[in-house]
Order: sequence, then C-alpha cells, then structure tokens
Amino acid sequence: MRGLVFYFCLLSTFSRYALAQATVEGRVDLPRTKSAPVMAKRYEIVTTGGVLGTNPPLAVVYLDGSFPKPTSPPTKQVAQKDLAFLPALLPVQVGTKVEFPNLEKDTYHNIFSYSPAKRFDLGRYRPDEKPVPSQVFDVAGLVTLRCDIHEHMRGLLLVLATPHFVTTDESGHFRLTGLPAGHYTLKAWVDSRTTREQPVDLKSGSTLHVDFPANP
Amino acid sequence: MMLVVAGLTATGLYLAQRNAAATLERDLQRNFQSDLTALHSVEELRYAALTERCRALVAKPRLHAALEDNALDLLYPSAKDELRDIMQDETNPQPEEISGVPHARFYRFLDRTGALLPPPNPAEVGPLRADEEAQLVLKPLPQTAQIGYLLRGGGTAKETIDEIIALPITSTENSEVIAALVIGFKPLEVEQKRGADEMKSGVWLNDWLHMPALLESARGAVDKEMTRLLAEPNKAERSSRIDIEGAPHLLFFKRLNPDSAFPAVYEVCVYPLKMAIARQQRLRWQILGAGAALLLVGFAASHLIAKRLSAPVAKLAIDSEENRVRRKRVEAKLASTHEELQRSTRFSADASHQLKTPVTVLRAGIEELLRRENLEPAIYDELSALHHQTYRLTGVIDDLLLLSRMDAGHLRIEFSPVDLSQLIEEWLDDLNALPDPLGLDIKTHVPPSLHISGERRYTSLILQNLLENARKYNRSGGRIHVSARLENDWIYLTVGNTGRPIPAEMQPHIFERFSRGANGEKIAGHGLGLNLARELVRLHGGELTLVSSNEDWTEFEARFNQAGERP
Repeated sequence: MRGLVFYFCLLSTFSRYALAQATVEGRVDLPRTKSAPVMAKRYEIVTTGGVLGTNPPLAVVYLDGSFPKPTSPPTKQVAQKDLAFLPALLPVQVGTKVEFPNLEKDTYHNIFSYSPAKRFDLGRYRPDEKPVPSQVFDVAGLVTLRCDIHEHMRGLLLVLATPHFVTTDESGHFRLTGLPAGHYTLKAWVDSRTTREQPVDLKSGSTLHVDFPANP
Repeated sequence: MMLVVAGLTATGLYLAQRNAAATLERDLQRNFQSDLTALHSVEELRYAALTERCRALVAKPRLHAALEDNALDLLYPSAKDELRDIMQDETNPQPEEISGVPHARFYRFLDRTGALLPPPNPAEVGPLRADEEAQLVLKPLPQTAQIGYLLRGGGTAKETIDEIIALPITSTENSEVIAALVIGFKPLEVEQKRGADEMKSGVWLNDWLHMPALLESARGAVDKEMTRLLAEPNKAERSSRIDIEGAPHLLFFKRLNPDSAFPAVYEVCVYPLKMAIARQQRLRWQILGAGAALLLVGFAASHLIAKRLSAPVAKLAIDSEENRVRRKRVEAKLASTHEELQRSTRFSADASHQLKTPVTVLRAGIEELLRRENLEPAIYDELSALHHQTYRLTGVIDDLLLLSRMDAGHLRIEFSPVDLSQLIEEWLDDLNALPDPLGLDIKTHVPPSLHISGERRYTSLILQNLLENARKYNRSGGRIHVSARLENDWIYLTVGNTGRPIPAEMQPHIFERFSRGANGEKIAGHGLGLNLARELVRLHGGELTLVSSNEDWTEFEARFNQAGERP
C-alpha cells in the first residue's frame, strides 16, 4: 500500500511536471557590435549616451509574470578577474545572494553600486579574504557594479522577479525550458534602455518560437 | 662762436635729460612688470598645484557613479569623503604648505547643463549666500578647467576675494563632460603696507575694487579711471597715469583669468610716481648743473689756453716794437753821426779851401819879393825861409783836404800798375836836391820789375810820407834802408831808419791824427803823415804797420797789391 501511494505521488508529480513543460526558443535581433572587445571572448559593459549594454551585445530573455519566491535563495557569483567582472552581465532572481570573489593574483578589489535597485559597498578586500563578500538583491532592477579602485570596471546585474530567464548567445539565440503554461509576456532585455516584449501563450509540452526583431 | 657752443651744449643737455627721463620711465615699467611677473609666477605655480590636486579628485569613481548611475543624492555625501583633506577644517588644522595646496573654503557641483546642484548640507561644503552661489554657474559646462573669482563680503571689513576653479568631470566611458566641480580657495594675499608711497595691488571684479591697502580717499579716482579704461575695447592690459589727490600715480591693470568662462577679473596696481618724479627732477638738476659746470670749465680752459697761446705772440709784438725803437734810435744815431761826419768833412774841406787861398796869396807875394834884384842876402834868406814855410803850410792844408775827402768817402783810386822802383828813384833825386844835415846813408833794394796796383800820385804820397819820416826821425850819421819784395802775391815795402825809437806807450797811437809823441815838438811836421799814409795804403787795398821800433832801428812795412790783381 505505501509503495502504491508513493508510486501514485510520483506519477502525479511527474504528470504535473510533464504538464508544466513549455519551451520557448527564438532569436533576439541584437545590435551590431560597435567595436571589438578589449580581449577576445570577453564581454564588457559599455555606455553609449548613458545606455548601458554589453559588448559584444547580449540580451536577456525572461518570462514576465508573478511567480512565487524561491524557498531557498540561490547563490550566484560575479567574480573579479583580470580587472573585469566575470560575467559582465548576470541576470538573477530577486532574493538571490550574489558573491563577489576576488580572483586576482594579489590585487585589492572593491565592489560597490549606487544604483537605485541596490546601493551597497562591500569595501576593499584581498583575493584570499574569507568570507567572500556577498550581497542579497531583493529589489528588481538593473544594478551597475563598480570598483572604486579600478575606475573602468563595470558590471551589470539584472535583478528579475522571475526565475525563468536566460542570456542569449552572441548571435541572439535563446532557449527557455521548464516554463509553466499560461498566458505571459516574454521580454527581451537588450540594453538598459531597451526591453522588447512579446505576449506568449504557453502550452505545456510544446515549443514556441518567438523572435524579437529590432524596432523598425 | 661762444653762442654756437652754448647752443650746442644746451641742445645736448636737453636731449640727455630727455633720454634720462625716458630711461627712468622705462626702468619703472620694467621694475613694475618684473614685480608683477614674479607675483604671477607664484600664483601660476599655486594654480598648477591646485588643478593637479583637483584633477585627481574629479576622477574618483564614486563621484562618477553618483553622476552616472542616477544617484545624485549620493553626490555630495561621496564628495565629502573624497574632498575631506583639502577642505578647511577647524578640527583638522593643517598648515597650508603640507601639500602645497591651500585649503578650500567651499565646493559645489554643477550638473550636465551647468546649473548648480544644491548641496543637502551647505554647512559641510562651505556655506555660500544665494547670490554668491549664482556666480558659480557656468552655462554651458566648460570642457577645461576655468579660473574665476568670487567677491565675498564686499564693502565690509571682512571683504575677501576667493579664487574659484571649475573642473569638468568627464565620464570615462564616453569622454563626455557630465558635471563640474567648483572649488573656492582663499587667494594669495600679498602683505601690503598701507601708506602713500608703496605700490598697491588689488583686484577688480564686478565693477568693484578690492584693494585693502588703498586709502579711502583715493578709491574714487581709481574707480573712475578703471571704469573709463574698461569701457574701451581690447582691454586685457593697460596702463595710464592718474592723479590721486594731486599726486601723480601710475595705474596698471591686467586680466587675471584670460580666456576664462567666468567673468573677467583684473589685477590692478597703483604705483605712486612721487618718488620717481622727484628722482627725475633731481636728475634733471644734476644734468643741468653738470652741464653748466662743464661749460664754465670749458670756457675757463679755453680762455687760459688762448692766453697762453697768445702770450708769445704778444711778446713777439712787444719785442719787435722794442727792436724797431732800438733800430730807430740806432738809425738816428747813425744819421746824426753821418751828419756830423759830413759836417766835419765839409768843415775840413771848407777850412782847407779857405786856408789855401791866403797861403797862395802869401806865396805869390813872397815870390814876388824874391824876384827883386836888390835884396840883401839876409832878407833874401829870410824870404826863402818864409817861402819854404808857405810850402809847408800848403802841404798841411793839402793833407787835411785829402784826409777830409778820404773821411767822407769821396776819394776813389783808379788802379793801374805803378812802378815802385821808379817812384823811389824820383824821391831819391828830390832828396839829393835838399841839404842833408844828418849825413844819412840811404840804401835801396827794390827789384826793378815790381809794379803795385794803385794810383801814382797817391802811391808817391805814401812813399814820400814814409821816407820823409825815415829822414826826419833819423840821427846823425844814420842810415835809411828801403826794400821791397814779392811774397804770396803781396808786395811788401819796408822802410827802416836809425834814430831814437818810438816809446812803447806811444806805439799804439802813432797812426792817430795829430799825435807826435814826445819827439814831435822838436821835429818839423804836422802829425798827419802816418795817419794819411795808412789811410792811403788802406785805400790801395793794403795795410801799413810798424814792424818794430826799438834801440836804434825803426821799421815800417807797407803791403800793396801786385799790379794785375784787382784789390
């Protein structure tokens, strides 16, 4: 009998899981690369007229809606290495704790931000300092990360209210899985000024193809 | 001549004085400029240090973050930390020279448009009045650092001028100017003595003159002049003369912040010219005095030199005058002597002539008597003797006449050869005709061919004289020796006789007229013979000398020119 109950629960879970499965994939039309990055295969944050974005351009596609908060907040990392933030652009869910390890050989680093979404300053720390400074981001928004020793270092933290997000690749392709079925808005964050959106109707078990072309 | 010299000197003096005055003024300007330049270089160093310090400040990441990441409310709080060490702080008094940068009195931020971002807590960032804050605005934002000045507390005892530097804050991402930091410093204040005789410097901004060292009474004049000068275009730097309360001053201004976005501010310097002018006057007097002294010395020197040069000339004139006078005197004397001579000769001539006539008459009468037939022998002898005496008288008269003619220079000899031996023969003949009481022995030794150059009658006269003397002054049984010889183209005739010699003291005077010595009284003659003979020999071009007269022998020698040779 206990085995059957267990098996039945498992089945229902599985079926629920099977019911929650929707996939969206597509392509975001990214702007042309303005200039080659300083180092190959490195992404940096650039400002053009006050608009922050990555170079080479990337986008973050996420499903906008209200979702329950995670029970245990995930932990992400934005490392500082070779006088740059790694990754330069990181989407996180509200409530995520982000650690900022200093992966340099022997250089101090500092992490602070004046962004309205989260203003913090974790002070200066050496590479081998423990505990690794970290910060919980509990407000959705774009947070600009800076180092007050290294003036040029910039990092972007996109704090989203949804757990469903993904960063596109260089050509703009993305694929989101494990999405719940229902009617939502799919958004693509291109840069700090531009977020494209498309309403989607998700059916479980089906894959939707959504493109985000550039504005005509 | 003196006028020309004086005129030239005056011109030279005037030019020299003008030159000196110009040099003085130029020196003044130069001193002035060098003072200013020194001041400016100090200020420039200070400004360079300031801007360097502030440049570091505006690069701070926190300020940039506040400006770029939409966090302007964090701008001033971040700045407070960053600018802490340069803000003037009573709790943190540091001497200004630690960093070489003076303390800032206030700072403000300007936003992207150049408008002032008001500080949340003005006390922390240096309080400013609203009108003062308004002067910090720079629209549009400058791309480079700008210097300006802020007048604070104008007209009060605490009037100061703060120096403001506006530094643009450039985004490192895209090199745009996104804001500006304006910092106010207390400017360099030079210790200035209050008084009338020193250079005073100050600042002119917003039509206000900040010059603490300037006396209140002088402010009006300076204000007026500055306003007037600033009204003209091209007013970056100017100097002019003004009168402050009657005393002349030099006013000079120069723009402190050229090419600045802030309003123009000028540094003003007022330099009293009283001392310079006094110096100029003194110099002028000195030059004049020196010139006058020089002129005087020149005149005196030239006068002295002229006198010295003219002294010998004057002396020469005097001497020549003396000479002339002396010459005149001598000439007069000569003339008088000549006249005397002429007179005496005339006298002699007249006397002779006057004498001869009666003698002739006398002789004629006696001869008449001698021709009578019946004369007694005693009377005949007497008459003969008298007749003889007339001849003697005539002889004297003739001699005198001859002498006088010779004295007057009227006697001229016509030279021709005269046979000497023949003359002597004739005399011997004549002598033989006469009685010879002394019994003389006459010897002659005259070569027959000797011819002298002369006139026969005068030559015979010479001979006669000499031979007569030889006969007259002889002794009994004496001797007469006549010889002639040719020697060195001269013919020497020697007449010697025995008899009493001429005394030694008489010898120098025997050729003089009418000197016969002690012997003369006894012997017939008239004392003219030797004189006449010598004069005649001299006329012949020769000389008659007494060779010797001693013991028993007297010898005379006459020298004649040989015939054929002109004397």
